[in-house]
Amino acid sequence: MKIAEASEALRARRVSSVELTTTALSRIERNNPELRAFITVTGESAMAQARRADADFAAGKDRGPLQGIPVAVKDLFLTSGVRTTGGSKIYENFVPDHNAAVVEKLEAAGAVMLGKLNMHELAYGITSANPHFGPVRNPWNVAHSPGGSSGGSGTAVATRMAFVAMGSDTGGSIRIPASFCGVAGIKPTYGRVSRFGALPLSWSLDHMGPLARSVRDCAYALNAIAGRDPRDPTSSRRPVIDFVPDPECSIRGLRIGFPENFFFDNLDPGVESSVRGAMARAGSLGASVRPVRVPDMAALNSVARVILLAEAAAVVSPHAERRELFGQDVLALFDQGRLVSAVDYVNAQRLRRAMRKEFDKLWADVDCILSPATPAPAPRIGDTTVKLGGREVDVRLAATRLVRGINALGLPALAMPCGLTAAGLPAGLQIIGPAFEEALILKVGAALEDNGVGVPPCPAG
Amino acid sequence: MKDWASIAKAQGLILSAQEADRIAQALGALERTFQPLTANLPPELEPAFEFHAEEE
Repeated sequence: MKIAEASEALRARRVSSVELTTTALSRIERNNPELRAFITVTGESAMAQARRADADFAAGKDRGPLQGIPVAVKDLFLTSGVRTTGGSKIYENFVPDHNAAVVEKLEAAGAVMLGKLNMHELAYGITSANPHFGPVRNPWNVAHSPGGSSGGSGTAVATRMAFVAMGSDTGGSIRIPASFCGVAGIKPTYGRVSRFGALPLSWSLDHMGPLARSVRDCAYALNAIAGRDPRDPTSSRRPVIDFVPDPECSIRGLRIGFPENFFFDNLDPGVESSVRGAMARAGSLGASVRPVRVPDMAALNSVARVILLAEAAAVVSPHAERRELFGQDVLALFDQGRLVSAVDYVNAQRLRRAMRKEFDKLWADVDCILSPATPAPAPRIGDTTVKLGGREVDVRLAATRLVRGINALGLPALAMPCGLTAAGLPAGLQIIGPAFEEALILKVGAALEDNGVGVPPCPAG
Repeated sequence: MKDWASIAKAQGLILSAQEADRIAQALGALERTFQPLTANLPPELEPAFEFHAEEE
């Protein structure tokens, strides 16, 4: 069931929020011991919120499509009175006294909060093999990673534990788990969704956004959480529009670019054929699919990595001497960040501005860009390398290769499933648009989804 | 090529030989791709920092 159907059923009293929430909690109880998607389940308060939502429906009080819908948030969004760990020992006993802006907005929309989702430690990695709260598992094959850092979000949505799961994306952390778990996920434009009350990893690269069962469900969630927030100094003043694509949305005449350089290099064959199939479908729907040459994405990735290393090291510096608190992979990244010079950090931010300008020239020729989201499907838990193009490549660098640079540009990007590989794992498509054109990329994604691009429901759950 | 182990030591970061080697490999590879990009940056190119005095 998608949000639109559930929302309609709630209003027609064919189902209650209590029933939806009870089903969600049962799924969590059944699946979480193995999949470890949740760190904290707030069952009692969820049931109380569900009863309130049902009472509001009965009283004719309607707060929009998310009213009574069970959702969850990554455990880096502050939740008043509910422990917020960031997947880290540092925050093991941290109980905030206020909510993150995203949580406030979900509450205001009447959503039912199921709990806090597991993640890569401090959002600094892509496996979600959390050394403190256990490894999140991919529901398509539990021997595989769900991706990360919002791995619990991907797994919870794929197994229908929650309709929507909020994540964060600093170098692909929404789009990678969306790709690996066969769900939709959108990283909005930088500034579109408030970062207030989300534990930071890298202030200038962090983006907040939803993962959901469909592209339209992502749009409903984005409608609820977008908007200006003066508590986030980088929050945009752009007015929020309705992001939900029309039921019969058309992409006829849209100019869709597919990169002839970088994005299609060294792909897993199953991923490549799925993505090319989605491109062909866009063409058959009347879009003008054309090749485009993108700026130096490898250089952009290097720039983004320098910024991330330096900012993340600054974030964690108060705890830097307590090395026993960190997992080995995260500790190694913090150590690297401490050695990045101030000159290199400033130059990376200068290059970022120049590259953004260069990338923006593309929008004269195309309305959006289609690419793979990840070059390969989910790796096995514990794998440190993945074989691509005949070479063993570091699994983190491979997974972030096609997504990381977009964070430095601040552009909106949607990941959605576009097929299964021979191993039965999802392949992910990425749709990148100009700044603040979330509605456009969601429309393209919805049109593809409406016309058969996607995966069957995950058998687990 | 930078001596990352010495830089770490100068910053008070005590690393095992294995940790130092791992870091040197990662940062060395990043340096090789990043530093050439900085060679000809014009002085008027400002960093993409966010600071708005009116909001302070």
